[in-house]
Amino acid sequence: MSSIVSTLLIAIPALPLAATIVTALFGRRLGERSHLPIVVALVTAFLASFLLVAEVAKEAGESEMKVGWEQTVDVWNWLNVDDAIATPPAAHAAADAPALPARLPFTIGVTLRADPLTAIMLAMVTFVASLVAIYASGYMHGDRGYWRFFTYIGLFVFSMTMLVSVSNFVLLYVFWEAVGLCSYLLIGFWYEKPEAAAAGKKAFLVNRIGDFGFALGLFLMWTTYGTLNFHDAGGVAGILGQTRLAQPDLFVGGGVATAICLLLMLGACGKSAQFPLHVWLPDAMEGPTPVSALIHAATMVTAGVYMVTRCTPLFQVSPDAQAVVAIIGATTAALGGIIAMTQTDLKRVLAYSTISQLGYMFLGLGVATLTSITAGMFHLFTHAFFKALLFLGAGSVMHAMGGVIDMRRFGGLHRLMPTTHWTFLFGCLALAGVVPFAGFWSKDAILAAVHEKAAEHTLFAVLYWVGLGTAFLTAIYTFRAFFLTFYGPERVPHEAGHHAHESPRPMTLPLVVLAVCALGVGAYFEWTQGFAEMLRYTPSLAYEVIAPHEHAHDHGSHLLVAVTSTVIALAGIGIAAYLYLGDASQVAALTRLLSPLYWLSYGKLFFDQIYMALFIWPLWALALASYWVDRYVIDGLVNLVGKLPVWVGASLRSLQAGMVQFYALAMIWGVVVLAVTLLVWPAIAASWK
Amino acid sequence: MDEQALLESYLVVGALLFGIGLVGFCSRRNMIVMFLAAEMMLQGVSLSLVAWGRYHNNWGGQMLVIFILTVAACEAAIALAVVLSLFHKNGSLDIALWQNLREDNQPAHADRDADELRALPETQWPTLAPAGIEPDHDLDEVLHRTHI
Repeated sequence: MSSIVSTLLIAIPALPLAATIVTALFGRRLGERSHLPIVVALVTAFLASFLLVAEVAKEAGESEMKVGWEQTVDVWNWLNVDDAIATPPAAHAAADAPALPARLPFTIGVTLRADPLTAIMLAMVTFVASLVAIYASGYMHGDRGYWRFFTYIGLFVFSMTMLVSVSNFVLLYVFWEAVGLCSYLLIGFWYEKPEAAAAGKKAFLVNRIGDFGFALGLFLMWTTYGTLNFHDAGGVAGILGQTRLAQPDLFVGGGVATAICLLLMLGACGKSAQFPLHVWLPDAMEGPTPVSALIHAATMVTAGVYMVTRCTPLFQVSPDAQAVVAIIGATTAALGGIIAMTQTDLKRVLAYSTISQLGYMFLGLGVATLTSITAGMFHLFTHAFFKALLFLGAGSVMHAMGGVIDMRRFGGLHRLMPTTHWTFLFGCLALAGVVPFAGFWSKDAILAAVHEKAAEHTLFAVLYWVGLGTAFLTAIYTFRAFFLTFYGPERVPHEAGHHAHESPRPMTLPLVVLAVCALGVGAYFEWTQGFAEMLRYTPSLAYEVIAPHEHAHDHGSHLLVAVTSTVIALAGIGIAAYLYLGDASQVAALTRLLSPLYWLSYGKLFFDQIYMALFIWPLWALALASYWVDRYVIDGLVNLVGKLPVWVGASLRSLQAGMVQFYALAMIWGVVVLAVTLLVWPAIAASWK
Repeated sequence: MDEQALLESYLVVGALLFGIGLVGFCSRRNMIVMFLAAEMMLQGVSLSLVAWGRYHNNWGGQMLVIFILTVAACEAAIALAVVLSLFHKNGSLDIALWQNLREDNQPAHADRDADELRALPETQWPTLAPAGIEPDHDLDEVLHRTHI
């Protein structure tokens, strides 16, 4: 146990949090310098994460591989409820603890964990966040909400780093919500714009559906396992703890496992914009472009992938759930690719491409061999770089074009914006999966893993072809966007004014750094095999847990897949070049030829409309009906109760006439009634006996 | 005459007195007559008390009657003063003119001739000339009074 790991683990979230507090408190005074605390904190956090990765790699390499390597550090005990649940049968004492009592406490300790998965995620998040913060200091320059923007960014990075480093499902959920909140705040950052406000609301509400499933999954895990910790704590074996991992038969199987996994997957679908909850992500592009790059491409949307990877041992006991994950992933990849083909908004093309690439990651996780899961995580890792690069490039274009992002209104910018052009090209090549760019290695790894499994089941053969088809689409739409933006006759919209030139240095520098990463990061890790090797020491992915699927690495088939996907990518690029570098008549002819397909794709497969008709209108009608019932039935009853005394009072008021004789008469009648009762009642009572 | 018959006679007379007073109180509008009717009811009750007292050979009833007479004397003084001051207000002894304690927003009960009486101009009653000359008031005392 090294204390340096603990220190780093606490420092990484603490730095952005501190910077957030400083910016929130002194933002108005800092004004144009509001980005400084955040940038400094994020860069420092990145350096700390880098150290952490090195430290974890060293420590993990010395550990026994069987159950992986992890280290936890308790920060404080958040809550503790004694005797919260009768010990469920699946609960198990930790390896070196006495047998469990009859009732277990509900204990949530704020415990951070270091393991290879967390370390890699931390390094990726802080790296991209640092670059995006630097970029945003140029992009957001002069915005009224400059300091507000950086406060939110700091808060987001804090939440995201906590999300990947907590060691408890409840805290995972808390920070899962926290990043959702930051996403909402940043999508609606320009809240004066009705579209932005609506998009923020939509993102939040769609995520609610997923989070509801996630919460139910948590409840089910709690009643099944009697704990919600990842690691062994308080003498109880954690859900993903060393004790349980060492004896895989301690995991509950059957219907409960499938239910847990599907509920978790629902949560992941919401956060990672997977079918059928993908509809919020394209609208989220209303937010500032650095936010799209950081939150809606590189980090937050990969939280679902992270979570499913983290829960791999749970998914391992439910092959059905894994198949569902793979199918959802492939479906989403394909539909994202199809829709991205015809969008005219550069950022929306990238958004659908993000959805599609996230689908690839889930496909990898769903195939559920060790190679496919590490490939999925590898794709997450490389995708973060090249997709952040593409978004930042799109932001650079948008910056120069005076906020116009519609590709029909500009073109031929490669002379005006050389740096953006070159870096964007690198991003496009990586996304299309061309050797030796990053995207090629990771996408190829996923496809190879699917192909390996294809022999076992027809399902995976189908998914493999879906994946290949999507790779083809990816290459076409990526280069369609690239050619439309940077080639052809030079057109600049009038909104651009005198801005139509290359972006300032704080914006181009991150582009260049990310372009280098998009070029090199895949090849580097593929060459050294360091990524997969390191990831294997994550307890959740340790060898014993995942069914050993290490039949001799079939290099022949791997090479076949690699060649196929490269050919497909190049073919796609070629078609895009033929269509969009030539004259527009070819595109028009093709559009006419495939008009129903074009119509479907341009209408985004009409998901928004379908959901409108299926869910929103019925709910709206229900709400309206409830409103009427409340307004007229419930309020009517309440008002009736209120009016009753008034009516009774009005009818009795005439009795109070102010006439003495009237009162005297009332008294007389009262006495008469009393007297008669007194005389008659005994007779009546006697007759009853 | 036996005690039983004597009691009955007294009670009958008492009841008659009470009944006449009751009817009179409810049917007459002259305040003084109403007051007299009320007194008559009082005397009817007093008579019954005396009769019962004698019948039971118990002085309690007659004791009570003495008290009633005392109270009735006081009450008569107050009631007549009230009637007099009411008469000073509008020059009529008609009870139908006094319905001011009725519920808000309720119309006044229109009794026979009451509206005509109400419509009469305010009568100026002769007042006596002040006797002698008004003395000088102590300023402190005046101020004190106004404070009260």
